[in-house]
Formats: sequence, C-alpha cells, structure tokens
Amino acid sequence: MLKSTYKPSPGALQPLPPGWTEHKAPTGHTYYYHADTKESTYKRPGAPPSFVPQQPPPINLSDPNVANAFMAQYNAPPLQQHGRGGFGGRGGFQNRPRPQPTDKPRSKVAIPGHDPWILVYTKYGRRFAYNPAKNASYWRIPEKLMPAILELDQARIRRKAGLEDEEEEEEEEEGGGNQRRRRSEYEEVEVTDDEGDGDDDGEGHAKRQRTEEPGADGPVEFTEADIAAQLAAMGADYGDEEMGSDEDWEGEGADPPFSDEDARALFKDLLDDFKINPYSSWEKLMEEGKIIDDARYTVLNTTKARKDAWEEWTRVKILERKAQRATEEKKDPRIPYLAFLQDKATPKLYWPEFRRKYKKEGPMKDPKLADKDRERWYREHNNRLKLPQSTLKSDLKTLLASVPASALNNQSTPDHLPPHVLADLRYISLDPSIRDPFIEAYIQGLGPPPTAEEGGLEEDAATTKAREDRRKRERALQERERVVAEEKRRQEKRLQFERARLRDEERELERAMVVGKKGLQSQLAGERLAERMVIKKEAEDS
Amino acid sequence: MPAIRPSSKRKAPPDGFSDIEEDLLVFGNKMKDAQNTPTDNIPKHQAQWPIFQISHQRSRYIYELYYEKEAISKKLYEWLLKNGYADAMLIAKWKKQGYEKLCCLRCVQTKETNFNSTCICRVPKAGLKDGQDVQCVSCGCRGCASSD
Ligand SMILES: [Zn+2]
Ligand SMILES: [Zn+2]
Repeated sequence: MLKSTYKPSPGALQPLPPGWTEHKAPTGHTYYYHADTKESTYKRPGAPPSFVPQQPPPINLSDPNVANAFMAQYNAPPLQQHGRGGFGGRGGFQNRPRPQPTDKPRSKVAIPGHDPWILVYTKYGRRFAYNPAKNASYWRIPEKLMPAILELDQARIRRKAGLEDEEEEEEEEEGGGNQRRRRSEYEEVEVTDDEGDGDDDGEGHAKRQRTEEPGADGPVEFTEADIAAQLAAMGADYGDEEMGSDEDWEGEGADPPFSDEDARALFKDLLDDFKINPYSSWEKLMEEGKIIDDARYTVLNTTKARKDAWEEWTRVKILERKAQRATEEKKDPRIPYLAFLQDKATPKLYWPEFRRKYKKEGPMKDPKLADKDRERWYREHNNRLKLPQSTLKSDLKTLLASVPASALNNQSTPDHLPPHVLADLRYISLDPSIRDPFIEAYIQGLGPPPTAEEGGLEEDAATTKAREDRRKRERALQERERVVAEEKRRQEKRLQFERARLRDEERELERAMVVGKKGLQSQLAGERLAERMVIKKEAEDS
Repeated sequence: MPAIRPSSKRKAPPDGFSDIEEDLLVFGNKMKDAQNTPTDNIPKHQAQWPIFQISHQRSRYIYELYYEKEAISKKLYEWLLKNGYADAMLIAKWKKQGYEKLCCLRCVQTKETNFNSTCICRVPKAGLKDGQDVQCVSCGCRGCASSD
C-alpha cells in the first residue's frame, strides 16, 4: 500500500478527530500526530479504511517522525509464522527503504548421517533440504532425513534453553567471500557458499524455524548454480504475504537506528538525568553501574563510544559550572563573604578581633562590600547561631520557599543553589552537615521545572530547541524499545511454537517406533509398514 | 607515594574540593582495603601491586582534572599534592615526552629492577615478541610505553 499512487482530492478530506494534528515531515510526507497518546501515523485518522494518503516512494525514514509513522502501520503481529526477526535493537527502522522481499540462502547445516544432504536456511527463515550430489532441493523435508533434522532441532532448542553461551561460537570460515563474524543469538550468519562439508552443526539457528511452506505441495528443484536466484524468485512469489508483516527490515550492515549525534545526545541526557558529577571519574561511574540499566546506555554500542561521549560531556559540564560560579560570585559579593563567615565566624571573637585575624583573606577585603555591612552581617550571623535549630530550619525553609520554581525545582542540585539563597544569612546559619541533607530533601520534594508556557518565562531559542530535540530523541528511543520488546515477544512465541511442534514430531516418531515393534510381532502390521516405506521411497525418488 | 595527611593536621581544602571529594573517598577506601588485605599467600613482590595501582589511578585522576580538563584550580591541585592525594614526582614524569603513561617511579629507576635496566613494562609492544605477555615485578604493570 505504500506504493499507492491514489491521490484523494483535497475536498474528500474529513476533519481530523480531536487531538490529532497534521504535520509535514521534511521529506514531504504528511503524517498525523496525537499529542496525548503520542501516536503517529501516515493514515489519516478518522478516514475510511480504504483511504490511504499519497506515499511518493522511496520513503526517507531518516526523519524519526516519518519512521515512527511508518512503523506504526506495521504494529500488528504477523499472522504467518515464518520469518526471521531483526531483534537485537538494531531494527533499522530508519534510513532504510523497505527491502524487496527476495529470499536467499543464509546458512546451512550438514544433516548428520546423511552425507551429502544439507539443510539450507533462507533469509526469511524458511528451510529446505538440499542434495548437492543430485542438485536437488526439497521444501518438503524427505522422510528419511526427518529423524536427523529433528535431532538438530532438539540440540538447538536445548542450547537455546540452557546454554546460551555456546551460541557465541564462530562458524567455520568458508570460501573467500565469507567474513568471519562473531555470532550472537540474533545475528544473522550469512553463508553464500553452497558447498556443505558436514562440520557445521547448525548453531545459532535458534530463531529460525520451519514453517508451512506455500510451496510444500511438491518438491521444487534447483540447479546449484542458480539456487540463489531461484530462491529470490520464490521469495518474490510470496511477496504479497511478506508485505503484510514488519519482518526483516534488517539487512546486512543495517544502519543503527539513531544517528551518531542522536545516540551521543541520548547518552548525555542520561548523564544529566542521573546527575552524574562531571568531576568524577569514568571508572567510578562504571563501578557504580547506576546508569547501565537505562535504555539510553546502549544507544552507543561500544565502551569506547560511551567513554568518549562521557568525556565530552564532562568537559562541557565543567566549563558550564565554572562559568556559572564565576558569574554568580561576580553578581553578588555577599556570597563568598557569607561562605567565609560560615567557615570562620565564631561567637568567641568580637568583630574587631575577627577582622584583624582575617584581614588578608579575599572576602574580607573585597572592595564591593562595605566594611559596615561586613560587620553587621558578622554580628547578625553570630546572633543567629544562638537560636534553636528548629527556628533555623524553619527560617531556611521559608527562604527556600521564596525561590520561584523556575530557579529551584527537583532538577536543581544542592551544590548549585540560586544566588538568592546563597546570599542570605539564613542559608549559613545551619551547619552544612545538617543544612545540606535538609536542602536535598527539600529539593526532592519539589515539582519539576515549569515549562516555558506555564512559567511564562522567556526561553531563548536555543533552550527551546534543545528541549525539543531531546523530546524527539526520546520518542525515537521509545519507538525502538517498543519494536525490540515486540520482537522479543514474537521470538518467544516462535520458540514456544517450535517446541510444541517438536513435541508433536517426537510423539509421531515414537508412534512410528511402536508400530515398528509391533510389526515384529504382527506379520500384518509389518507388511503395512514395509508398504509405507516403499511408497515413501518412491515419492522421494520421483 | 606520599601518605595522605590526616585531616586533623591540615588546612581546610580550597574551593572545588567538594566536587571531587567523593571520588577521593572511594580511592581512600580502596586503598585501605588493599592495605588491609592479608598477603600471606601472595608472592612477596606482588603484595604491593594493588597499592601501587590505586595510587597510580588516584594520581591519574587528579592529573587529568588539572591538566587535561582544567576542572580544578591551581590552588586545589597544589593542596592535593601537598596532602598526598597525588604523587607529584610521578605526575612530573607524565609531563615528559615518552613517559606519558608511566606506571610508577620504580620502573624507571634502573638499579631496582631485576634486569638492571629499565623495567620490561617500559618496552613498547612493538618491541616484544608477538603475544608476549609481560608484567613487571615492581608494580604489576603490563605495559606503559607511550606508543602502546
Ligand atoms: Zn610500567
Ligand atoms: Zn611500575
């Protein structure tokens, strides 16, 4: 439907249901967004189901909004079972035009005890038996191979169920064209060489499964030379069906779902949100492990990339803090003086003594302050120290409450309070060991910073843009998470399906064996069995 | 490796100390753990390795904050050196070309090594036989040549 060239006349458009807004992506595609549900779609909401807005191909999915809208059309779980999934978080739902549904061989397994037979897996998770000696391929697995293939499947499932680690093994290197790749559970291993030599035991095929093949009504033959081309053609035959699902968006070398810049930005958002101390070391960050469970931790996929982003982030943050501190101190000379008082003032010293003792200290000779004020604050501070702690606490609370939410909110850090607070005597009355936890608790109880609209604050364009960019990144991440979760769920379903199927087959084999035993006892049954074998053999050889 | 002065005997730290206090505390705790770990079952020359490594990491941390990120003031940096949070001698070496990654001072003091020459860990990887795994006796360093 994406290639539909049907253009509705503008007059035919119905008004959008409440909450929906129409948008145009930079690529020119119209999409619809629902601010409350965060849904986005290409399909005009409220329109009759047959109505599809124009989709000029090819679609550029580099715009996350377009990608999201595009993805939204493929949310429904696929009806058919076959197909591999692009699990692994690299769903590649961006930047990639939808691939043509051409199937091709991806990997193969020697069928133990049936040399030279091999089992070939296709890109779309189909499999077929192939006899290189005879140049013959069968979608329907010949009966005589069934027990061996069943064993392969069981071994695979056992591995899947218990020993995931073994799947890390590497596939033998073949030919010249195959690159050795480390294999993880969900990674595809491409095998383009059709020469089977029996060493491959089929590891890593856990996510594939045999399916009811549309071509199963009769064996299909290939010549070895154009096996891939034939499969491609077959794939095209099933194209319509493939289009109905969102499988196999991932090709070899799929682009990461985020631009490098976005990924770095997401990682830095993570550092911001966890209030990571930019002066702290990378090793400590890793040892603490606080951030590694966050989805944004893995948007950068190497430790080096993460460390680089962290490095960048720390430098920027340190600069920001330095600049902030400098301007604050410049703005209000009371701040360094009061900090100094908190540290040094004592009721044991009268002002003249105090002044004499510390006359060389910076805050004591700052020309921006009058000596008269310094004296007044000194006395006041010492007087306040005699007040009960409860009074000092409630005074501090009053002070904190007087700060607008834009300057003090749950995003504030206790070591970076607004100058308004720092320049107030009430701030220095309590000992820092009591005061700082008190302030921290207070901050935690506050609400989030007001947005530009509600706060009526004038935000500069850069801040607004930064916030919008961040929202955009987060939406893209949510989308990715959703796709990954969906895929995982589907994988599990497939595994269950396969287990059930294997149980059925096991039962069938058991039955066959029982019949075989009975056959020894019963002449008649034995004859029937022999008859069946002959029929099967004929069917195979035909 | 200067020992850290007990806090009772030193002046209050300069501004900016609170930014790095927690990391220093973690280093301090690691150091204590390393010093209190029994070394009965460890070859004598290995017993000091963890202590050298933590000392190296802590010096590196402060070095990077001051020289690379310019995150701390000169005043604070000097205070840290004076109070034993970082090894000034080792840092002095790092500033010299060819010694940017030096693990410890012992490894460039020729007479103390087993080989009566510069420590094996100072040999660039390129100068070693393929896959040769080295670990120096003095601090357990596995290679600290600048070119590695
Ligand atoms: Zn070394
Ligand atoms: Zn050393």
